[in-house]
Amino acid sequence: MGEGERLAGLVRAAQRGDGLAMAELVDALAPAVGRWCGPIALQEAEDAAQEALIAILRGLRGLRDPAALFGWARAIAVREAVRVARRAGREQPAELADVPAPGDPQLAADIRDVLGRLAPEHRAVLMLRDLEGLDERSSAAVLDIPAGTVKSRLARARASFRKEWQA
Amino acid sequence: MTWPVADLDAIRRLRALAAAVPGAFVAETTLDAPFDQVWAVAADLEHELPAYLPDVRTFTITARDGERLQADARGYAGLRARFDIVLRPGWCVMRSRFLLGGLAAAPDGQRTRLAFLGAVHIPAQQAAAPALAAIGRWAGPRVLARFASRVHQRDPGPPAT
Repeated sequence: MGEGERLAGLVRAAQRGDGLAMAELVDALAPAVGRWCGPIALQEAEDAAQEALIAILRGLRGLRDPAALFGWARAIAVREAVRVARRAGREQPAELADVPAPGDPQLAADIRDVLGRLAPEHRAVLMLRDLEGLDERSSAAVLDIPAGTVKSRLARARASFRKEWQA
Repeated sequence: MTWPVADLDAIRRLRALAAAVPGAFVAETTLDAPFDQVWAVAADLEHELPAYLPDVRTFTITARDGERLQADARGYAGLRARFDIVLRPGWCVMRSRFLLGGLAAAPDGQRTRLAFLGAVHIPAQQAAAPALAAIGRWAGPRVLARFASRVHQRDPGPPAT
């Protein structure tokens, strides 16, 4: 049995209320949830990841296609991470609410510093694009906003980021 | 470029599981003993589980395949149940037809954080969830106290000089 088939079986069993299957899904999802929540929630990352995992497990009954588990879980985790980061509100930047372009040397130098100067929603865009490799349309779907909004925000943000960085 | 990653340790994973299972409770404590000493008790299910779960008379491992085990539990009232178990360092979850149980541990310096999960599967579980959770709030700390006692009985003490 392949990994996808195994996970689909676990999803179906968890949807029927099987606690052991739910525990095995926790094992399968926890590394990815940590990867998604870390760049968005920063200091609150562990709390955000725990909240995200709870929301994912509680929402499992609504997942119609078990094969879509990770994409579906990612959308929930990103939204939870943004929510927890906004609630904490301690590292709101700022004057710099922009997303640097791919390959910007500042990203390579200190990603945490860059993330700390962005709003949580922009950290989410950056993570989805640079870490998860999503295009603007897919990022917009995850964030539940129009694709055009992501695109225009990114375009404005890149120019603004360069300006601030070079100032 | 290294992206920040959130570490969901075993305690947080067990909390999440408890939050998602209707009627589940989770109790937590920190034991004044190193992780290896604590987990030696948790992993020795056959000998230790009946010592810290008062309703269990015997717990016999019947099959083992890596992290996956099966066990036959017998209670003092003659009840019998088969458990499917996932067991590895820091994490143990077991499920029978009517019960879900779990233990998670994480090192905290020379001490160890420990969490215990319990849940009962019964008809009309959603309606009974508050009552089951209340029972858990009463029972959970008692189970952890018994567990702590077993850990300290295994305390090797200071090394001989």
